Amino acid sequence: MNRDETSRTGMMALEEGSRVDFTRLRHDRRRRLARGMEAAGLDALVLGRGPNVRYAAGARQLWRAGTSPFAPMCVMVAETGKVHLLSVWDEGVPPEIGHDELYGLFWNPANLLEALRGIPGLAEAERVGTDGFTPLFGRLQPAIAPKAEVVDASPLLSEARATKTADEVACITVAATLAEAALCALEHALAPGVTERQLLGVFYECVCRLGSPAPASESVAFATPAHGPVRFRHLVSDRPVGEGELVALAPSALYAGYEGGLARTRVAGSSAPKGTAALAGRCRTALDALVAACRPGAAGADLYAAWESTGEPAPTVLLANGIGIGTEPPVIGFGRGRTATLVEGQVLSVQAWAAHEGTGGFLEREVVLVGAEGPQVLTRGERFPL
Amino acid sequence: MTVDDWSAGATIGGRPVPGQPDLERMRRERTARLQVQLEAEGLDGLVLLGSSANAYASGALAPGEDSGRAGLFRSVTVVVRGAPAPHLFTPFSDGAPPELPADHLHGPLFPDLEDGIAEFASALGDLFGGGARLGVDEQTHPMLRSLGRYEWTDAAAVVAPAKIAKTVDEVACIRHAQHISELAMLEAQAVLRPGVRQSELSGAFLRRVFELGATSGAIDPIWQVMAPTKDAGPWTIHGDIAYPAATTDRFLREGDVIWVDAGINYNGYASDYGRTWITSNHPRPTPRQAAQFDRWRAVNGAVLELLKPGVTAIELTRAAIAANDGVKPWIEHFYLSHAIGTDSAELPLIGTDLGDEFDERQVMAPGMVLVLEPVIWEEGAAGYRSEDIVVVTDDGWLALSGDRYDPFTVAA
Repeated sequence: MNRDETSRTGMMALEEGSRVDFTRLRHDRRRRLARGMEAAGLDALVLGRGPNVRYAAGARQLWRAGTSPFAPMCVMVAETGKVHLLSVWDEGVPPEIGHDELYGLFWNPANLLEALRGIPGLAEAERVGTDGFTPLFGRLQPAIAPKAEVVDASPLLSEARATKTADEVACITVAATLAEAALCALEHALAPGVTERQLLGVFYECVCRLGSPAPASESVAFATPAHGPVRFRHLVSDRPVGEGELVALAPSALYAGYEGGLARTRVAGSSAPKGTAALAGRCRTALDALVAACRPGAAGADLYAAWESTGEPAPTVLLANGIGIGTEPPVIGFGRGRTATLVEGQVLSVQAWAAHEGTGGFLEREVVLVGAEGPQVLTRGERFPL
Repeated sequence: MTVDDWSAGATIGGRPVPGQPDLERMRRERTARLQVQLEAEGLDGLVLLGSSANAYASGALAPGEDSGRAGLFRSVTVVVRGAPAPHLFTPFSDGAPPELPADHLHGPLFPDLEDGIAEFASALGDLFGGGARLGVDEQTHPMLRSLGRYEWTDAAAVVAPAKIAKTVDEVACIRHAQHISELAMLEAQAVLRPGVRQSELSGAFLRRVFELGATSGAIDPIWQVMAPTKDAGPWTIHGDIAYPAATTDRFLREGDVIWVDAGINYNGYASDYGRTWITSNHPRPTPRQAAQFDRWRAVNGAVLELLKPGVTAIELTRAAIAANDGVKPWIEHFYLSHAIGTDSAELPLIGTDLGDEFDERQVMAPGMVLVLEPVIWEEGAAGYRSEDIVVVTDDGWLALSGDRYDPFTVAA
């Protein structure tokens, strides 16, 4: 990538075309899935998880918070190469998915069953990969694909999604840029007396103004006390932030489904608590060590080792996770992910959290591209002056 | 934020609906209901992975998150038959209910990861013996591979009957969520004018809901511009109206009729704000639009006229159709009414493709919530859609949503 990639960090199309070639983006994703299906000997993929559905179909559908139990939202058939999508209408559906490939929203499982039976090639499938299962799906499956063995499609989905194309990196960078704008808005609003829930409101207003209302997470701000135990928190509180408290600001955003985000820690007011510089230094050292470990071929265990090499106590929060269309494996932290192997082109959210009773907590987070030449930090934000 | 004595003495099961929910009592009563249903179904426990089932069974709060993140960093609630409290395994320990015993609050489990399943199996092994019959809402492939020692069945058989009639505190939660949404919509409506983008309305609304106390967002707010004819709107598989379509950075223009639909979450409970707005510096419904609104009111009025314990859903759909001159006043892929609770659409669902026989069997009972969302459509002149929320009480119903329909006005 010799050209300045940041020329693509805008939301709107230009006269000569969109900044990101979404047609190519979708085509590349689908080709990866088709290859993965072939390698795994799958006749069909039945997908229910939001990010997998978006990866396969590339449709712009209504965003809802949280996760719902598995249901067949999208079907990809190897023989026809077609992607079938649960969508009552064609708005937001890319042109390569024709009207015949859409099926409806039903409350009656019998009607859903009938719609799925109308998908060419599914009924004959002998091997069907899914990204989830429910007792209800177990009862319906013999009627949808009577001959099929149902297998786990997660490995092929993870593999397809792990390595990002240049278009995908561009989308992640746009999302990171939105998050950087939100970080500035949060910094501007941060002052003694403001509440965390007011900061969450400021975050939402900023990303909405930029045209991308759906957040990756609403965990965007938490203050830590200068006295007593320090906790990493996720839910906003009503308590006014006190003068001199350290506040973790951790906005993230989505662009075309892709996630980007960063975290910085700031002081509310003018007087930093005693020990802030030392704590900030610990956090930076730990984050830099983690980022440096994000190289092709490295294992999750190498990130744990990088953390331990800084002398920090055993990590109590996540060290890193994959990002792409939302959050994805690997999960490195909570003791998980030691054997996960990083691959070139993977993008990670990497974070360091250091806490000290009597000072507070310090959080920093970056988006890191695992590049052939080494880690490339995609996020930009002023770091705490040491 | 203070709320007046809005419930005015209405009762559900003989108990008055409180102005504000007693959250601890609410969680205790939900746990008791799940225990009753576990007994009735002969199950040994529940293992719940989905966001709304967790909110119901554990009472734990979680930040609003994209589905990818929420599906990897989950809360898992395990309910053991006969036990007084659920077990909560969560990455969001700050969202755990304060009364949850310390030995019932655990670190996160990762049922979606191959290298998380041994710990998951071990946690379940501490609570259940082999052969236990467990209700589950979702099974990941690692669970299918590694947890074959249990007999798995659909958790809905336990959870759905527990949820269908709300307790008085659940009703107060829904009302509070709705109140927050309605106040925040005043801010969004003040921003509405030609040239504003749909997503800017979202910003005004979402900023305000959090200032007012929302726990989390639930859905990307919808501000869909309705084309005057069905053909001018998006193509649909059934030929009926395409709704609700996702928000973009689309500019709104003078005279655009927009159907607003948004919901937030307050202590686990959804709100559902639905109204029709007109884009203008001086929004004034045309006589035709005003007549659509009057008809919408008449349809809802006909339903509410009948609504009380013992009425069947089919009686309500028939009344709605009759009030619309024999034309079904709702969208083909939806319903006349749905409930809200910890889900944004849950039972009772009235007027769905489950059919008339299903509606004949749905008998209204105290505590059931109805979000009435009839649609009045006139080819060539778009239409009117709003949502009114009521709860069935011991002797009728109680409104949980407000009575402002600006820029439409209720005829004197």
